[in-house]
This record gives sequence, structure tokens and C-alpha cells, in this order.
Amino acid sequence: MAADNKIHFWRRNAKGPGSLQPIYGARYPPVDPRVLCSFLKDAPKTNAVSVKSKKPATFHEFARSTNDAWDIEDDEDGGFFPPLAHSTSVPAQSHSTVKASRLKETDRAADKEPEPEPRPGDRSEPGSADVCRDRPKTDGESANGRVVKSSSDVQLNSNSERSTLQKQQSLPMRPIIPLVARISDQNASGAPPMTVREKTRLDKFKQLLASPNTDLEDLRKHSWSGIPREVRPVTWRLLSGYLPANMERRELVLQRKREEYFGFIEQYYHSRTDEHHRDTYRQIHIDIPRTNPLIPLFQQPLVQEVFERILFIWAIRHPASGYVQGINDLVTPFFVVFLSEFVEEDMENFEMAALPLETQRNIEADSFWCMSKLLDGIQDNYTFAQPGIQKKVKALEELISRIDEDVHLHIQRCEVEYLQFAFRWMNNLLMRELPLRCTIRLWDTYQAESEGFSHFHLYVCAAFLIKWRKEILSMLDFQGLLMLLQNLPTIHWGNEEVGLLLAEAYRLKYMFADAPRHYKR
Amino acid sequence: MAYAYLFKYIIIGDTGVGKSCLLLQFTDKRFQPVHDLTIGVEFGARMITIDGKQIKLQIWDTAGQESFRSITRSYYRGAAGALLVYDITRRDTFNHLTTWLEDARQHSNSNMVIMLIGNKSDLESRREVKKEEGEAFAREHGLIFMETSAKTASNVEEAFINTAKEIYEKIQEGVFDINNEANGIKIGPQHAATNSTLSGGQGGQQAGGGCC
Repeated sequence: MAADNKIHFWRRNAKGPGSLQPIYGARYPPVDPRVLCSFLKDAPKTNAVSVKSKKPATFHEFARSTNDAWDIEDDEDGGFFPPLAHSTSVPAQSHSTVKASRLKETDRAADKEPEPEPRPGDRSEPGSADVCRDRPKTDGESANGRVVKSSSDVQLNSNSERSTLQKQQSLPMRPIIPLVARISDQNASGAPPMTVREKTRLDKFKQLLASPNTDLEDLRKHSWSGIPREVRPVTWRLLSGYLPANMERRELVLQRKREEYFGFIEQYYHSRTDEHHRDTYRQIHIDIPRTNPLIPLFQQPLVQEVFERILFIWAIRHPASGYVQGINDLVTPFFVVFLSEFVEEDMENFEMAALPLETQRNIEADSFWCMSKLLDGIQDNYTFAQPGIQKKVKALEELISRIDEDVHLHIQRCEVEYLQFAFRWMNNLLMRELPLRCTIRLWDTYQAESEGFSHFHLYVCAAFLIKWRKEILSMLDFQGLLMLLQNLPTIHWGNEEVGLLLAEAYRLKYMFADAPRHYKR
Repeated sequence: MAYAYLFKYIIIGDTGVGKSCLLLQFTDKRFQPVHDLTIGVEFGARMITIDGKQIKLQIWDTAGQESFRSITRSYYRGAAGALLVYDITRRDTFNHLTTWLEDARQHSNSNMVIMLIGNKSDLESRREVKKEEGEAFAREHGLIFMETSAKTASNVEEAFINTAKEIYEKIQEGVFDINNEANGIKIGPQHAATNSTLSGGQGGQQAGGGCC
């Protein structure tokens, strides 16, 4: 029944060219109601978000007005706008060495917490800019509290976001956060207790998950702005379509699917040495040690074997694409999230062998199935000549030319082609541009959003590019620009930055997906 | 930074032979034993000096996997030099050279200088391809040849620089049409102002400059 609902739901929301239908997820990120109303005059009442409408006009005004946001417990959690970045908090103890998965940009690695969770304790720090933590995107939205038609409006918005980021970057030096928080959004021991807000959110998830028939629509709605760590594994299983909404069936389905996966292993894995599969296996075998090369967890033979089996089985069951480099990365978030159910801290150095065999197998099978579900939606990214990627990179170029002509023309003037930097963005779903913890947070939303990985990702890429507007425009030649674009400094990014990115992406999608051509400059 | 010429390179070869490591060693002078997979293409650059002239090398490092071939092929056009890399410890990477060469010749301009590189020369104990075999293959197909180690940096500078020297000589001989950027060669800003036509013997230290 739940599955039926889902099908109908997507059909109902199928987009048609030029139409302005309610877009799934429309209510959940904070969109200014005025924008909504002007766009969706005939929208169902539920779309008219009930939000306090006193929107500040400038960032500073906004900052002042929210300075005390953490003194009182507001009621927004119960409404349509769950807070952006609320998974866990980060312990403030220092840690020895920080090896980031993207070593190319290490300089700022230690400067800033990746989980800038506002906590009462934070506020006593001098210069702590709590004000811009939770809802800076609301400010961004308010700057666009009218229908944006010109690129200058968009610029205005990105400017305000940038100033937010700059402000954050000028925060005083903070203790280096433990690796575990960097990788998986974990709450390590000694972390401060949850805020009431976080608790409320978590309770809401627990309530949804405990219901005999989880309301997937509701679950998506709440997941859009981030899933609490404790419930992420089960929520991901549900959102990916792997686990049924019906509580009673779940255990049975899990058992059956896990058996099925190991049936595949039994049936096919030995064929990796066969003539026609040998090349596939060899490629995977060469690539696995180069997957997350700097995180010790992934250098354990046991873990590498898990990845090899998952990828090999997937590849031979999908001969239209086979294994394409980049797919290896896509296993990682699932593996880490499912492993996190059993690892409290220091995930990077966790010894997989310490887990019971049964648990290891379950993590492996679940990772396989969830990755398969993801790939089902983006398989044309990996078929011959990668048409899905070609199409999306073209769409990105077109989109940027509409939303920020200056950036677009500048890129053209420097003779940089979008394919030169954005190919990887599509092929690896931005995983190579962001720290792993950010990818995990990003995927909360991708799984909550209709066609998240295949369609919404485009808008995230557009928002991501525009995020670096100032840096892009400051590069005066091909070389400088391309070097920048293939090494964007995101090493310090956390939930907050991803939240901003998603809010902007949402706004772009809202304005430009299906938008009539007259929005074109 | 001013330069007399800009040469564009492409690095090709099977997956895992060390293309990215060679580039990293050349541009950053460091070795990263486990390197991230190259997806599509990645870009690197460095300045070198030949015959007293500053030459900027812009290098496209390509993904070795077959699946990306449709993307990487487009980078042959517009390259003045190619480094074709195999791994001396993996015979199959050597066996695939013919395919790579055909691909390169078919999609590049005919004057492209190709340097054959047998990489991982530090792993002597695991060697599967003799140096003589590499030399013979190079001779047969008119390539320059070197064995390198991205790990120890042995011959890495030389591989990139010798390729540039060869290109430079071809320019002197008038083989390249340097006004056609599709050949992967660009005259530096100052150079262009004073020399509308090629004359290689001209003293070439330029000042100022820097352009798009």
C-alpha cells in the first residue's frame, strides 16, 4: 500500500514543461511564503507555509534579530521548517592529527568545526557568530522575497550568503574536532547533551519510524533538512525504498534481501576470474585501495573486500553500464551510515573485524541494495558515452547562463568549459568536492527530495558554482580558474554550509525548473 | 607570469599506471602513494625553461578507464605533446600501448610529440616489461622513450622537459603552425607582440604580461 502511495505520489507531481505545479518538497526548506504565493496562486492551502512573516531586510538586521535565538525554545520544529543542521553536536576536545579525505586543501582544516551546531555553550565564546548559524538561509530567502527575474537579484542573494560564510571563517581558532565527527557526523563520547530542539526533532523521527505504517511523505518532509544521526540508518533504508513502510514487514524484507544478496555472491562472485569478468574485477580491485585513500578504515582488507563484492555484483548485474570509476565512491556513504549503528566513536580507525560476522554481512547487503536503488535513478550517467552526465553538464551551463550571466561569461572568457570541471561533479555526485560528512548530509536531502540524485543534484551543482562567485570572478585566466574549480576549498565545510547550499539549490529549482523561458535573460 | 610559449600536454595510458602521480611529482614535487582516482580529466601546470626561454606547460591528466574514453578523446586535439604511460610491473598495460597509440594518432594533430614512459622503475623486483622492450616499441613507432619513477622522481623532470624540447625543436624547424592554437602551442603575450611570425632564434625573455 505504501508503495502504491509512493507511485501515485510521484505521478501526481510529475512535472510538465512550462507548468508551475507544486514541486515535491516545496514546503520543507524555508521558502519565503511571498515567493510561494506569487508562484503558486492556485497552490493547495498546505503550501502556503505558516511562517512568521517579519523578515529582516538585511543580514545585519537579521543577525540582530536572531542573536538571542538560542535563549528561547522556539516552536519551529513543530512546523514546516525543521532546522537546517541538526544532527549532532561535536565534542570540543582536541585530537592529534587530522587527515582529511580531500587533502588537496588542508590549510583551513583545523580552523573550524564542521558541525557548527549552535549550543548554549558556544555563545560564551568571544566572537562566536551564532547568529548566522541556524537560519542564514532565511536571510538569503528574504533578500529574494520577491519574484526574482534578473541575475542581479540572484547576485544579491549569493552576496549575502558569502558574507555569511566569510563571517564564519573569521571565527577564532577552534579546537580540532575528532576525525569521527569529520567523517560521519558522529556524536562522540563526552559531547554535550542534546539541545531540546534536537531532542524534539529526534522524537518526531522516532515517532514516525515507530508507527505501524511509516508515513514516507512525512518522513521525507522531516528528512529534507537533515536526519538525526541516531535514526539515519533506518531512515535511509526507508527513503531509498529498500525497507517497506509497513513495520511488520520490515524484518522479513531485510532478511530476504540480505539472503538474496549473499545468494548473488555465492552464484556470481567466483566468476570474477572468468575471461569475460576478469577486466571488471581487476578494475575494481585496483580502484578500491584508491577509494577514500586517507581514511584507515577503508584500508582494512576486510572492508576492501566488502567494497569489491558490492561493486562486482552490481557491475555484472548491470551490463549496460558495468563498473565505471566513481561508482566506487557511491558505496561509501551507505557503508559508513550503516556501520555507524555499531560504532560509537573513532569510526575512521574502527576495526571492522571487531564486529560479529552477521553484522558485517548485514552492513554489506544493506549497502549493496541502497546503492543499487540510488544507481537505478542515475544509470544513464554510466552507460556508454555517459549521456546522463553530458546532458546534465549542458543543463548546468544553461542554468548558470540564466541565473548568473556574469559568472557564465567570465567562465567563457577564460575559455574554461563546464565539462572540464563539472564532469566530476556529476560523475561522483560532488563527493570529490565535499568532505564525506557533507555528502552524508547532502544525501539526507537527496533521498528526501523527489529525483534527488538525478535532478535536484543539478541545482545543487548550480548553487555550488555560484557559491564561489567572487573567487571565480577574481581568477583572470584559464589556468587560475580551472585550478580553482577543481580544488574548491570546502575542507572546513559542515552541515551549515550544506544547509545553505541546499536552500539555495531549492530556490533555484523552484524558480527555474519548469520555468517559462521568459526567465531567460 | 610571462612566458615565451605555452605547450599543452595530455597524459594517457591504462588505469593505475601512475599518470596522476607523474603529474603530481612534476608539478608539486611530491609523491602520494595512494592517489584518488582521476575522473574524466584533471589539469595541472608548471613553468620550465628551455634554451633560456620560459615555457608554460599546461597538462591534461586523463582517466585511464575505457568508460571515460569518449570524454578524454576530445583532449587530444589541441595537445602538442602526449605522455603515453605504462607500468613496467604490469605486462597488460604494455600490451595495450598499440591501442592507445592508434587512438592518439587518430584524434590528435599529426605533429604531436609522443613520449613513451615506462613508469614505476623503482619496483625493479616486480618488473614484467624489460627496458629494451620499451625502447624497441618506441623505436618502431617513432616515439621518445624513458623509464621513470613517480615515487623517487627519477626521470620525471626529464620526461616532461625532453618532450618540451622536442616540441621546441619542431617549432624552430617550422614544423608547427604556431598560429593555430589547435596544435597545442601558444605564443606568450610579449612574444606575440614582437614576433607575429615565428623566429625561434630571437632572444626571448619577456617581462610583464599575463593574460587570459
